[in-house]
Amino acid sequence: MKTGTSRQVVLRLAHRGEQHIRWMFLWIAGLGLLWMWDLFFLNRPALSLVRAALFNSLLAGLLVVFFSMTLGWASGLLVYSLEKRKNTLPYIAVTFFFNLIRSLPQIVGILLGYIVLTSLIVQGILRAPFLQLLSMSFVVSLFVFLEVADLIRERIAHYKQLDFFDAMLCCGIKESRIVNVEILRKNSLAHLVHKGVAVFGMALFLQCSIDFILSVGLSTEVSSSNFPATLGSMLARMDSKQDILAISMVFSDLSYVSALCTRHLQGLNIAFAIVYTLVCVHNIANGLVRRYHL
Amino acid sequence: MQGKIAEHIGSLAFVALVFAVLLVYLKHLEAADRQARAQAVAPYVSIPGIDFGNPRDRALFNEALNLFRPASPAANDSLISAIESYRQSRFTDPNLKTGAAERGLTWHVAGKLTVMYLQFVLVFGIVLGLTFYGAQSLGIYRFVRMKQGRGSYVEEFLQLVSRPNVGGEHLIRIRKASFLLVKGFLKGVAYAILFSPAYVIGYSFKASFETNSLLFMILLGVVSNGLLVNYANKFYTLLATENRKGYVETALVKNLGGEFFWNAPGGITYRSILSLPRHFPGHVLQHIYLNARHQYFPTLKEQASFLITGLIIIEMALNIQGHLCYELLQNILYRQYDIVLTILFAIFLLVKVTDILVDVRHHREELRYENRN
Repeated sequence: MKTGTSRQVVLRLAHRGEQHIRWMFLWIAGLGLLWMWDLFFLNRPALSLVRAALFNSLLAGLLVVFFSMTLGWASGLLVYSLEKRKNTLPYIAVTFFFNLIRSLPQIVGILLGYIVLTSLIVQGILRAPFLQLLSMSFVVSLFVFLEVADLIRERIAHYKQLDFFDAMLCCGIKESRIVNVEILRKNSLAHLVHKGVAVFGMALFLQCSIDFILSVGLSTEVSSSNFPATLGSMLARMDSKQDILAISMVFSDLSYVSALCTRHLQGLNIAFAIVYTLVCVHNIANGLVRRYHL
Repeated sequence: MQGKIAEHIGSLAFVALVFAVLLVYLKHLEAADRQARAQAVAPYVSIPGIDFGNPRDRALFNEALNLFRPASPAANDSLISAIESYRQSRFTDPNLKTGAAERGLTWHVAGKLTVMYLQFVLVFGIVLGLTFYGAQSLGIYRFVRMKQGRGSYVEEFLQLVSRPNVGGEHLIRIRKASFLLVKGFLKGVAYAILFSPAYVIGYSFKASFETNSLLFMILLGVVSNGLLVNYANKFYTLLATENRKGYVETALVKNLGGEFFWNAPGGITYRSILSLPRHFPGHVLQHIYLNARHQYFPTLKEQASFLITGLIIIEMALNIQGHLCYELLQNILYRQYDIVLTILFAIFLLVKVTDILVDVRHHREELRYENRN
């Protein structure tokens, strides 16, 4: 029989307000379990490749969040200040440019960015793997940061309608401090964290997709073999693709499930890591919405 | 409204101009690059008595180079490989072939691209319609479940097992718990499919189904890449936000239906969620839904852009030959920039036309809401 304390823990975890924390634990635990499984069944060279790919993908996702937050914050403030000062022409030019980026499908923009990066790598300008990862993340963030910029503008517009904005101005507090500290840092942190989580999920999805496309479709100069290994490029390898193709064996022979989990581990591992992370990120973001009534 | 349309047309004109300039520049760059490469190796390939197709001659030439220029072995190796690639290009580069089909954007290629583009637009339209409908249905379903006070199946399971035992209901609880676990598992599988990138699902089914068909592409477009589930979530958030507004409580006080249990008298039916157009007569959900839908409509632009990203991923990653984005990828590979830019502009045009249609529709609805029409 359960003790009172363990029942309380179960109830607390079941409480809907804690959903984001629960999913965070589940994500870490899931990847940990996957890791343990790999230690037993996956061969060492593949294990080290998968480990590097997972690390690079997660790091790239975090870098995209950092770049998007920085670019989004700066561009949100830029548009706000241009709007406030009634600089009509620069305001129109900047919003026109941002809307143009918005209209370009993200994958197309990133693909073009990767072509530029490849030429820089071929010319020997981008050599260090970390620098390559940094530039890949920057390219992705160029097509994601507008979500953050929109949020920043929305939060400022929301608080500007309230009395406290005018009251603070009357108290002699500088507008830049009201916007950056009082509105964005103190009163919009939950919104920004939520957006950061969503951007992380989007970045992972886009990066994996573009790396997969480059590895499958372009086999010569514009190749992801020029870039550091990520989950997408690992999934595009022939052996990983064969592992994924093996899933359809289950439709004809259900007992093949056990073979999938031991013999076709590399591809399944990577696919699972991508999908599981995306599901967890989605639920963490939802949990934040519930917890903070965003 | 006119300002918005002017902005859309302006951005179309701007992109067309940028692409035209880029095209001229890339053509010039390509020609200059080809000429420079040919000039760099020209003095060597015409040396009499040396056949670069013969390995012995190549080795002799390499040794002679190293004797004349011993300080720069890397440059010597580069020269050898440049000569080799120049020789190869004489056989493989379509620009240097006389009998090959004409390169670049010809009328024949334009005709082929138009057919592919129309197919792409058709798939886009169908998937957009299905996801727009599906996202709203799923969003309402989640909202109704939230109003019923129900959480996820795992939450319900945890609550069930942590509830104190009351004599004689062990079997019922075990049955309920296992039923919840099965439902939770199925929901997990559904989530895994909905969040899977299209190429994962595509390759999983490639050996069993015909994955190159249009129907499979539409299906993949709807269920993969997280499109449906993300936009269902957006619609759900809008419904939840509307639900917190004062008019909902006022309506309930004035005796408008507020029962959210399935098929209960005055409650919600599955059919009303799935039917088109959706109606919840005499129920507060009707007003919550209409207001949320009005706010959701502009996100259709964002959804369209993301959907195009998804379709491009599907066509490129699954190597579906004869489709627009596969052609785009191939032409990037063969450096046929005029075709690449034409396809990109066509895709951009599709996004912009969708934006204009959504803006016009939203503007009309806004006028109706504000009693200005």
